[in-house]
Amino acid sequence: MTPMIQVEHLVKRYRKAATAAVDDISFDVGAGEMFAFLGPNGAGKTTTISILTTTLAKTSGTIRIDGHDLDRDATAVRRSIGIIFQNPSVDLHLSGEENIRLHVALYGLYAYRPFYRAMPAAYRARIEELSEVVGLGAEVFRPLKTYSGGMKRKLEIIRSLMHRPGVLFLDEPTSGLDPVSRHSLWQYLRRVRAADGTTVFLTTHYLEEAEEADRVCVIDHGRIATIGSPDELKADLLERSIVLDAADRPALLAELRGLGVLPSVDEDGLIRVAYDGPTAQPLVGRLATPLTVLRVHDPSLEEAYVELLRTTAESAA
Amino acid sequence: MSANEATTTLVAERTGLRSRFAREANATFAIAWREILRAVKSPLSIAFTVIFPVIFIGILGGSISQNLSGALPYAYLPFMLIGMIANTMYQGTITGVTNLVEERENDFTAELFVAPISRYSVLLGKIIGSGLASLVSLVGIIAMIFVMQIPMNFGDLLRVIALAPVLALAGGSLGVFFIGFVQDPKVAGAGVALLVFPQMFLAGALIPVANSSGVLGLLAKVMPMTYSIDLARNIFYAGKPEAPFTVLNSPWLDLAVTVGFFLVFTIVGTYLFVRADRNR
Repeated sequence: MTPMIQVEHLVKRYRKAATAAVDDISFDVGAGEMFAFLGPNGAGKTTTISILTTTLAKTSGTIRIDGHDLDRDATAVRRSIGIIFQNPSVDLHLSGEENIRLHVALYGLYAYRPFYRAMPAAYRARIEELSEVVGLGAEVFRPLKTYSGGMKRKLEIIRSLMHRPGVLFLDEPTSGLDPVSRHSLWQYLRRVRAADGTTVFLTTHYLEEAEEADRVCVIDHGRIATIGSPDELKADLLERSIVLDAADRPALLAELRGLGVLPSVDEDGLIRVAYDGPTAQPLVGRLATPLTVLRVHDPSLEEAYVELLRTTAESAA
Repeated sequence: MSANEATTTLVAERTGLRSRFAREANATFAIAWREILRAVKSPLSIAFTVIFPVIFIGILGGSISQNLSGALPYAYLPFMLIGMIANTMYQGTITGVTNLVEERENDFTAELFVAPISRYSVLLGKIIGSGLASLVSLVGIIAMIFVMQIPMNFGDLLRVIALAPVLALAGGSLGVFFIGFVQDPKVAGAGVALLVFPQMFLAGALIPVANSSGVLGLLAKVMPMTYSIDLARNIFYAGKPEAPFTVLNSPWLDLAVTVGFFLVFTIVGTYLFVRADRNR
C-alpha cells in the first residue's frame, strides 16, 4: 500500500545557518497510522512539519503526501491535510464560528455567506455536532477574545476536521492545556481516527501522549535518532525488571544467583532483576523464598526517550 | 484520486463549488468579508478612518484654501477633496494589506497559506476587503462638503465615488508590493506612513503638481497615486471649463498606468511575499 506520507532525504538549511536544521531524514507514514515525531527543542520537529504542510520551502529532498508530490502539486497536498498549529492560528477579531466559516470557504466546502443563518443546513448541523463533541457548545458563537487557551485549541480541532483531511498534523496540540482539556481532546481525536481512519502526524513534549502512537520517530540535531513502535524503542533502550524483597534478603539473593540471574540492590535496599521475554512469570514462579515486595517495572516511553537522548549526547561528545 | 480527495470533492460538488474558479472566487469573497467584519468590530479603527481625512481636509485643506489658493483659476476645495478621496482610499487599503505582515507574526497567515487556494486569491481578498472597509472614510469626507460648504455637483461626486473600488485596488496593489519587501511588522507600520504621506503631496492630492519640475516633477510622474488622483479628477472635471487646469493627463493614460501598476505590483508583490515567507 502506498504510504500516506513519504519523506526522502529531506534537508532544510536556513539562511545564514551554519548547520542544517533538518539533515537528510527519510521516513514513511502509513494510511491510518498515528506517527509521533519527537525530539528536544530545536531538534527540527517544527521545521519538518512546516515543510510537510507547505508553509516552509525545503532545501532538498522529495516529499509525497496522499500520493501528491509536494513540489509539483502543493495545492492537492494542502487539500489533503488538516493542521493544528503549535501557536493557535485563529483570528481574534472574529467569533469561533466566523473562524470556521472562513476556513470552510478557503477549502471550497461551502459557498461563503456573510451570516451564519444563511449558511447551508449541512454546515450548521456539522458546527453544532462538532462544537457539542469537543465541549464548546454555544460558546462557538462568542468572540474569540473571550476564549481561554483550551477553547481556542478545541476550535482549531473543529476547524481542522471540517474538511475531513486524510492526514492530520498536530504540532504540540496540547501545549498550554489543562489536564481535563487534554484528556477530552485526545478522546475526540481517538474517535475521529476510529471513524475516518485519519492518519495522524503528531509532535509533542508529553511522552505519555506518544505512548499510543503506532510508531515513534525521535529526531535530534536534525537527524533521525531512532524509529519504531513504542514497545520496540523501550525494548531496545531499556531493560524490563522486577523489584523484589524478602524478610530473609540474603536467602533471596542467594536463590536468585543460584537461578543464574544477576540481582542488583538499589538505593532503597530493594533487589532489582532484569528479565527478557514478555513476562517475568517464569522467574517469579521458580522462587521459593517468601517475598515481601514484588513489583514489575515496565519502562515508560519517556524513560526510553531520555535514555536515547543521553546516549546520543554521549556519543556526540 | 485519493479517498480523502474524493471526500472533499464530494462535499464541494454537493455545495456547488466544483470549478476551480468558483472555489477561488468563494475564498476571495470570504477573505474580503473577514476584512469588513474586522473593521466593523473595531469602532476605534472606524473612528480613526473617518477622522483622519476630516483633519486633513478641514485643517490643512482649509488653511491652504484661505491663504494660498487665490491665484488659482479654479476652486481649490473641490480640487483638493477629489484628491483626498483617492488618497484616503489608498491609505485605507495599504494599511489593510500591510496588516498581513502583522498577521504573519501572530501566525494567522499560516491558516490562509496552508489553504488549497491561490496566493493571489488571498491577497486579492485582502485588497478588496480593505478597500471596501476604507469606503467608510468617505463618510467623513462627504460630511466635510457640508461643514466647509464646498461647492460641488453631487452627480459629479457620485461618479468619483463609483471609482473608489478602482482606487482601492490600485492602493492595495501598492501595499502588496510593499509587503513583498518588508517582513518586520514595526517597519511595515512605519512604511505605510512613508508610502502615503509623501504621495499625498508629491502626487497632488492636496497641492497641485501641474507645475512641478526637476526632482519634484520627476517624483510626481513616478508616483502611482498621481495617475489614480488624476483619473478621479478627469472624471470629476469632465466637460468643465476648469479641466485644462486641473487634470494632468488623458483619462485613458491614467487608467492604463493605474491598471499597469496594479498588475505589476500585485504579481511581483505576491511572488515576493510568498517567497519571503517560505524561503527562510
